[in-house]
Amino acid sequence: MIQDDREKIFGKIRSGLRGYQKFTFDRSSKSPLKTTLAKNFGTQFEKFKKELAILGGEAVVLNGHSSISQFLLSHIQGSAFIYDETESQFEAVISKIKKSREVKFSSDFENNYDKREVAIFDAAISTCATCSAETGTIVIENQMRLPAALATKLFIIAEPGDLIPSLDELFTDEFRNFKGSNLFLITGPSRTADIEKELVTGVHGPKEVYVIFFQP
Amino acid sequence: MELESKHFKSLYKEQIKNQQLRSNLSKATLQAVDKRAESFEEVDFSFLRDEAKKIKQESITHLNEFLSQFEDMAQKNGCKIFYAQTPEKANAYILDAALKHGVRTIVKSKSMVTEEMELVPFLTRNGIDTVETDLGEYIVQLANEKPSHITTPAIHKSRKEIAELFHEKIGSDLNTDPKFLTTEARRVLREKFLSADMGISGANFLIAETGDVVIVENEGNARLSTSAVKVHVVVTGIEKVIPQFSDLRIFMRLLARSSTGQKLTSYVSLIRGPRAKEEKDGPQEVHIVLLDNGRSGLLGTEYQDVLHCIRCGACLNVCPVYRNIGGHAYGSVYPGPIGSLVTPLYYGEKNAPDLPFASSLCGNCTEVCPVGIDIHHHLLALRQEITSSKKSSLEKFLFRNYRKTMLRPGRYKMMGKAARLLSKTGLLRILMKSWTNERDLPEFPSISFRELFKSGRLD
Ligand code: SF4
Repeated sequence: MIQDDREKIFGKIRSGLRGYQKFTFDRSSKSPLKTTLAKNFGTQFEKFKKELAILGGEAVVLNGHSSISQFLLSHIQGSAFIYDETESQFEAVISKIKKSREVKFSSDFENNYDKREVAIFDAAISTCATCSAETGTIVIENQMRLPAALATKLFIIAEPGDLIPSLDELFTDEFRNFKGSNLFLITGPSRTADIEKELVTGVHGPKEVYVIFFQP
Repeated sequence: MELESKHFKSLYKEQIKNQQLRSNLSKATLQAVDKRAESFEEVDFSFLRDEAKKIKQESITHLNEFLSQFEDMAQKNGCKIFYAQTPEKANAYILDAALKHGVRTIVKSKSMVTEEMELVPFLTRNGIDTVETDLGEYIVQLANEKPSHITTPAIHKSRKEIAELFHEKIGSDLNTDPKFLTTEARRVLREKFLSADMGISGANFLIAETGDVVIVENEGNARLSTSAVKVHVVVTGIEKVIPQFSDLRIFMRLLARSSTGQKLTSYVSLIRGPRAKEEKDGPQEVHIVLLDNGRSGLLGTEYQDVLHCIRCGACLNVCPVYRNIGGHAYGSVYPGPIGSLVTPLYYGEKNAPDLPFASSLCGNCTEVCPVGIDIHHHLLALRQEITSSKKSSLEKFLFRNYRKTMLRPGRYKMMGKAARLLSKTGLLRILMKSWTNERDLPEFPSISFRELFKSGRLD
């Protein structure tokens, strides 16, 4: 067993800081944003849509279950992975997709499933914990991490109440106590500019990202 | 340990001759500078910088308390913590963990600390296939080189060079289109993700209040390296801890803007621990290796705020020296203005005696630094330390004489005459060869201003 250096490091830290004035930060509640968004869904959605579009993603508002399933079916070519949370929240939508596409759910997978089983899906469909208009960010906290990271297309079905104006509302007590082992923030498609600073999407993660707000 | 940074003078002379490198760098860094400026339009940069600086000041002046709070929380969340004073110790711990789990392939996302540790060559030497999965890092690994920028590791390479590299190493067609090259990398690396047992990542922030590890990235490789594996090892420096979850509202707005000119990176993972009972994937073990490697030595010194650095790379992009010589010239894992500070401070001035002089002191770096590190004044202070520690040097002799000359008019007159004579005969240029090699030496006028004034020929 390799002995760690905890005590030595803490000793060095303590002696380095001895006599050094400690600083305590008085956390201000002010937002660094120059303008704040109006508190209505319409304004926040427009901002969210604009930010996501800049990154190459798409956000839409749809009214009925059938329009959502139509949207999904027209965008998904092959198979789809659907998170159980999505199925239970939008059963009517999912049952239509199930009829015309090869579909699998989180519950179809055992613990310690083979990674290759989820690497084959063209699309992943998920709900979200929240969406932030300021940056076009989606926040998810699912029981499976890989489908949303491996699929080529990612679809999020959200409700108007899921939308928050900015990151100020995200990094609060409400989201600090997230339930699983991780919280995942997605802001547009996977991207790189590592080759001569030219932007390319879909490096390792989804190439396309869609957010559908269901407004009955 | 002897570092290449000791040989900065010969390294930069090589690099500065490379026209292709200079043009790649100039294109990439200038684009980054423009994008950065644009991305700050919606937010108040000075406010964010002040807040970030204060949060970091709080974190560092209470480092032992926040580090131990982080440790408690992370352990409660099921993570294993390991403290290492040296890279050797950290490397040994990671190898041990890999061997215990029978790991054959490791997928790794970008981490400057692992570069400090030379972790990848170490694991490879020990028979473990360790693959860099960030596109830039992957390119650099295939080329058997080191990263030349903190956030854009292959900034020095052109698309043509990358196409040739992929053709030679992974059998791709000779196609220079970045889309094609990226798809090729995706194809090879996807297979690595699917076969790897262990993932190694860095951490941008550690949150003391919750025990979370925050990883910021654009490609999705860090997400996969930390999720598609049985064991996840986080490797980071002890200075990365911040007090609260809510502090992310400041840092998330600063980091991507300063680094790539984005409002937020494509992905941010907040990892609280190994997979929970009800979860079906994610690592069964999360190890967090906290490295000191010279960091604690800065505490209580005038350079303490260098530990505030969030490794955004903005100071590199605006630096006229970096733009002309590139990252490899510094001979250090950390290039550019921050590298010129960190290298002598972490590894001793003897290991990087010339790096603090690799700056025009224009102050661009300090101006863009999102955590308000006074980079160029620190560089100046280091220069002073290095110079005054030398018992005697030609530089000291010359400056002493310069001072005397400026204080005595008679001597000034005599030296002026001598300089004009030497300039006229061309001897001055020969005597000052090492200065004039890279700088212009203007011709001296044939008579001095004083003589001109006396002769009444001035208008
Ligand atoms: S010193 Fe400042 S500008 Fe340079 S990398 Fe660190 S945080 Fe960024």
